[in-house]
Amino acid sequence: MILITAICVAVTFGVSVYMMLGRDLKSVAMGVFLLSHAANLSIISMSGSPVYNDPEQGITFKQPPLLVSDDAYHATDSEAVAATGEEATASPLNTIVDPLPQALILTAIVISFAVMGFLLALIVVTGRATGTLDVDKLAQEQLPTPSAAH
Amino acid sequence: MTFNPLILFCIIPLAAGLLCMLLVRQPGLSRMVGVVSMTLNLVFSVALLMVSYLKGPGLIFTTDVGGWPAPYGITLVFDSLAGLLLAPASLVALACYIHSFSSLKPETERRYFHPLAQLLMFGVNLSFLTGDLFNLFVAFEIMLMASYALLSIGGTRRQLTQSYKYVVLNLMASTVFVASAGMVYGMFGTLNIAHLTAIVRHNVESGTPLPTGFTALAVLLLLVFGLKGAFFPLWFWLPDTYYTCPIALGAWFGGTLTKVGVYAVARLFPFAFAQGEGGLAVIMPIIAISAAFTMFLGVLGAVSQHEVRRILAIHVISQVGYMVFGIAVMTPLALAGCVFYMIQHMIVKASLFLCCGVMERHAGTDDLDHMGGMLKKHVWLGVLFLVAALSLVGLPPLSGFFGKLTIIREGWESHPWLSVIGLATGALTLLSMMKIFSYAFWSPEPKHAPPKSNEDIPTDPNRSWVAAYVGIVMLVVAAVGVGVGAEPVFRIALVAGHQMHDPTDYIKAVAPNGVPGVHTVATKSAVHHTTTIPAGEPNESPIIDPTAVYHELTNTAALIGRTSP
Repeated sequence: MILITAICVAVTFGVSVYMMLGRDLKSVAMGVFLLSHAANLSIISMSGSPVYNDPEQGITFKQPPLLVSDDAYHATDSEAVAATGEEATASPLNTIVDPLPQALILTAIVISFAVMGFLLALIVVTGRATGTLDVDKLAQEQLPTPSAAH
Repeated sequence: MTFNPLILFCIIPLAAGLLCMLLVRQPGLSRMVGVVSMTLNLVFSVALLMVSYLKGPGLIFTTDVGGWPAPYGITLVFDSLAGLLLAPASLVALACYIHSFSSLKPETERRYFHPLAQLLMFGVNLSFLTGDLFNLFVAFEIMLMASYALLSIGGTRRQLTQSYKYVVLNLMASTVFVASAGMVYGMFGTLNIAHLTAIVRHNVESGTPLPTGFTALAVLLLLVFGLKGAFFPLWFWLPDTYYTCPIALGAWFGGTLTKVGVYAVARLFPFAFAQGEGGLAVIMPIIAISAAFTMFLGVLGAVSQHEVRRILAIHVISQVGYMVFGIAVMTPLALAGCVFYMIQHMIVKASLFLCCGVMERHAGTDDLDHMGGMLKKHVWLGVLFLVAALSLVGLPPLSGFFGKLTIIREGWESHPWLSVIGLATGALTLLSMMKIFSYAFWSPEPKHAPPKSNEDIPTDPNRSWVAAYVGIVMLVVAAVGVGVGAEPVFRIALVAGHQMHDPTDYIKAVAPNGVPGVHTVATKSAVHHTTTIPAGEPNESPIIDPTAVYHELTNTAALIGRTSP
């Protein structure tokens, strides 16, 4: 599953970069839109297993912000359970997915939605004011540079 | 120390922004609301900074938003670094806002300029205060959304052909930022900066290897903040953008927005991302090389230009290089110099832009070929410009000198080549500033009326000048004040430098009971450092003794005085 997600993220990133390099502002906007999807997809793949214990090094890298009873918490934390893995399923931490990345992408989706609305409106206004959405032509519309002014 | 009124930094601008939205048809009332809100912000930040220094030094105020204790909830943290940047940022905002009363076109002002200005300030405040990586992303978005709208407000053809670049580039950077924030969570299970720092430091100290990909993540974040802060080679968007927007906004953006990117690097990299083997081997050289190119190419670009706005805009880049230089050296003193430089740069750069706005209005253009003779007609404008320009260059009694001295002196031992580039950049800065001064103020008046090149320059001759000059004078006085009164500012900056170098205080303030997963660090720091400083005994903190470090600095200054002619 991780591999599939990784491939999805990579392809989405690739397509979005390709579209952003296009000359048409509409395709640039689509590229930006896809880019945020790729980012969200990569974040959701971080939810994974909520607790990562490394008994050898004694470090818990990832402790999700879940409120569970102390017993359950220590059940996953203790090295014995990590070694046998039998009682571990009793803890809610081992049966549910870390919910925080989902909260993160909810926020990110809302923000990218709003920004996308702004970008599309900007493109419409730019198209009306300049009569073109071609990036090259917009660049030529630049104000006279110092050399052109003389 | 928990101090819930910190949330006022968010509530005041938000409330004022909403109020301005209702009052959009009454520009007079909107202006009043805006000025009151920004003044409150300034007074509150300065007062809190003083309290934090006098009761500490280096007392850190925190608020757990919503009552969720760190590291689970979002924490707002007001430490010396945040305070030292908040205060000048509020000052710049206030001065540019007042200046805009006399320079902004009335129709632009009617198009929701006032609410957007408040939201921009809200975003800047939140970025300085937040103690959470994801919340930093949200703060960036709030700030950038307001800045996109402010850049394209009015919708002149010239603005529109430029603003889409800024929007698309920043959107891309934000997306990469949110993806890397997600990866930080995947790696460490936390987004809280203090918690993250504690884990990374614990791993480095105990010799445990950091997770695979940590260095790559740091490079990604450097890319994001580099784009926002206009580091080499990511500065290409800056000159065009700041060139096209109304001058009061250009001053505000040039003063504040790039500094938010630099702040993010200054906050996150010494704490966590430049630590460990990968940090030392990969991240630090990247930062140092980027600093060198940013300084030198920035100033070369400025020297080659012939329009005041362009010179000033490209100078922003060159000055960012000095700050990055301070971060690259990463000793407490160099970080303090970096903070000091950021403070003075915000104030000075904004005042130069505002001067440029008045100069443009007098001359009708910002092309130096068509300017001249202003010293005869507008002596005080010349004086204000000269003082601000010399501060930027860094002549001794003025503020730029102290920042440059500290950074270059500290960098001399570890990065001598960077220091040489820094000195050369200073000389070229002087050249480009004097170019503006001699063309615009000293040279004889041009015979022909200039071609109309900039549709943003207001043409109405009856508009009042008072607001424009009030804005400039506020900033120039502050710039001189930071220079003449450098000692107190520098003392606070030293505290900030120490806190950036050693995060124990920060972690302890955010999570007084220790953070999960790194019990050893928490207990160790409780033994070795007392970070909760009793209110009755100031200057008793064992890790930060600004007086001692200050002596170190004055000795350094004396040493420089002896060795160089």
